[in-house]
Amino acid sequence: MKLVQAPRKLRRAGPNALALLVIFFFAFPAYWMLRTAFLPTLDIQSDPPVFFPTDPTFDHFVTAVERPGFWIYVRNSLFVTLSAVALSTVTALLAAVAVARFRFRGRKAYLVLILAVQLAPFEALFIPYFLVFRQFDLLDRLPALILVYFVSILPFTIWTLRGFVAAVPAELEEAAMVDGCTRWQAFRRVVLPLLGPGLVATSIFGFITAWNEYLYAFVFMRNEDNYTLPVWLATFRTAFGDDWGGAMAGSVLFTLPVLIFFLIVQRRMVGGLTAGAVKG
Amino acid sequence: MSVPTPTVMRPAPDDADEAPPSGPPAAKRRREPLPYILVVPSLLALGVLFGYPVFLLFRMSFQQLGFGELVQRLTIWIGFDNYTEILGDSEFWQVVGRTVAFTAVCVALTMALGTGIGLLLVRLGKKMRIAVSASLVIAWAVPIITATTLFQWLFDVNYGVVNWFLGTPKHDWFATGLSTFGVIVTVIVWQAVPFVAFTVQAGVLSIPEEYYEAARMDGAGPVRAFREITLPILRPILAVLTFLSTIWDFKVFAQVWAIRQGGPDEQTITLPLYLYDVGIASKQYGLAAAGAVVMVLILAVGMVFYLRHMLKTELDS
Repeated sequence: MKLVQAPRKLRRAGPNALALLVIFFFAFPAYWMLRTAFLPTLDIQSDPPVFFPTDPTFDHFVTAVERPGFWIYVRNSLFVTLSAVALSTVTALLAAVAVARFRFRGRKAYLVLILAVQLAPFEALFIPYFLVFRQFDLLDRLPALILVYFVSILPFTIWTLRGFVAAVPAELEEAAMVDGCTRWQAFRRVVLPLLGPGLVATSIFGFITAWNEYLYAFVFMRNEDNYTLPVWLATFRTAFGDDWGGAMAGSVLFTLPVLIFFLIVQRRMVGGLTAGAVKG
Repeated sequence: MSVPTPTVMRPAPDDADEAPPSGPPAAKRRREPLPYILVVPSLLALGVLFGYPVFLLFRMSFQQLGFGELVQRLTIWIGFDNYTEILGDSEFWQVVGRTVAFTAVCVALTMALGTGIGLLLVRLGKKMRIAVSASLVIAWAVPIITATTLFQWLFDVNYGVVNWFLGTPKHDWFATGLSTFGVIVTVIVWQAVPFVAFTVQAGVLSIPEEYYEAARMDGAGPVRAFREITLPILRPILAVLTFLSTIWDFKVFAQVWAIRQGGPDEQTITLPLYLYDVGIASKQYGLAAAGAVVMVLILAVGMVFYLRHMLKTELDS
C-alpha cells in the first residue's frame, strides 16, 4: 500500500515497533517451553531465571519418554487420529464431489445440515455419547474416540473440500470424457491429482483437531492403557509433582508433529479455511 | 489448479444461485442417482453418530435418569421437572452469567488483537512480516493441552517467569477466580488470535489496489480510504470471525478444566464444566441433559442474527 509518502524507514518505524511486541507476546511462551525443556533441573529453579541454556541437557526428554506408558499413548493417539482422519476424508470427498459438481434436489437442505452440525456443541453431547457407548460396551475403548472424532471433523472436511473440488474446472473432466474416459476414469486421472493439496490441507486440519482433543478422551477413557497424549499430558504434572522440565519436554514432543505439519501446509490451510468458512 | 484463495471471500452476488454450477452441463439437467449415492455415507454417519445422540439428549432431558435408573434400565418420564430444577437453581444462572462474561471478554480481546495484527501484517516489510507470521504460526500450532501446561508454568507461583518479569515474587496467580480467569483468557487469546489475524490479512490483500487509487484521485486521505473501502469489505469477514469465536469460546472445556479444574473454590466453573460435574461426576444424566439443551438454546438465541446472515450468504453461492 502506498498511501503515505514519507520515507520508507520512517514510515515503518511505528509498525515495526508494534511488530516486535507482537513477536514477543506470541513467540516468547514457546521459547520458554523450549528453554525449560533443555535446562538442567537446578537451573530451572533459579532466581533470576536463566534465559539461555549454556549447558543444554536431554535428560528431561529421556524422563518423559521413559515414563511408563508414553509409547502406548503415542500409539493410541496416532491410531485414533489417523483412523478418524482417514474415515472423514473418504466420506467427505464423496459428499464434496456431490455438492460441488451436481445440482440435485435437497442440495440446499444438505448444506444447511452440514453448517448446523458444524456449529453444534459437541461439548454438550458427551452425556448421550457416554450412554450409547456404555450400551454398546465401547466406553473404555479407542474406537469410541475414533467415531466421535470422525463425526466431529466430518462437516468441516466436507465444507472445505467442496471449495477445492469446485476450484477444479469441470471442463477438464469433460475434455477427458470426450477423449474416451469414463466418468470415473476422468475423476481418478484428472480431478483427483488436482485435489491433492486440498486433501492434504483438510486432513491436516482434521489431524490437529483430533490430536488435540481432550474432553472425550478424558471422560471416556478410564483405563490408563487407553489414554491419549492430551490426557497423559494433563495428568503428567499432578502425578509427578513440579517436574517442570519433564512437563515442558513432554509438551515439546507433543507439539513437534503438529508444528512440522503446520509449517508445511500453513499457507494452503489459511486459503482453505477462509474459503470454507466464508465463501460458499 | 490452485487452491481457493482468499480473493473469493466477498459474499456471492444474489443471482449466483441461478447461475449454472461448474458441473458438466449434461450431468446436471438429467435426474441422476449419483449425487444421492455420494452423500449417503456422510448422511448415515451424521444420522447415527450425531442425530441419534442429539435425539437421546433431548429425550433424556425429560427423564429421571441417574445411575440407579440406568443400571436397572428404568425409563421414568418426569415432563419438565429437570428443566424446572435446573432453571430454578441459582448456581446454574451464576455459571451462565460467568460463561457469558468470560466468552465476551475472550471474543472482544481476540477480535481486537487479531484485527489489529492482521492490518499490521499488511503494512510490514517482508522480513518483519515473515517474523510476525512465524511467531503466530507457532502459537497456533501448539496443542491446547500443551498451551495450558505452558501457561501454568509461565504463571507458576515459585519460578514462573511472569512473576520475575513483573517483579512480583511469589504472587499466586491462581489464588482468586478472577486472576485464574485472567490466565485462562490469556491462553485462549494467545491461540485464537493467529487465525483471526491471518484471515483479516487475507481479506485486506483481496481488495484490488485500484479501489485505493480511485479513492486517492478523489482526494481521499488514508483514514477515509480505510473507512470507506477497507472496513466495508472486511465487515462480513469480521462478522463470521466473531461468530466462530463466540461459539468456540462459549463451549471451551479443555483449557478451563486443565488449568485448575474449575478452582479455586469453583470460581472458574463455566457451563461445559458444570455439565460435566452434574452429568458424569454426579451421574445425574437427565438433569445434565436438560442443562445441555438449555446451553444449546442460549447459544442459538445469541447466534440467531449471525446464523441468518450466514445462511443467506453461504447458500447463495
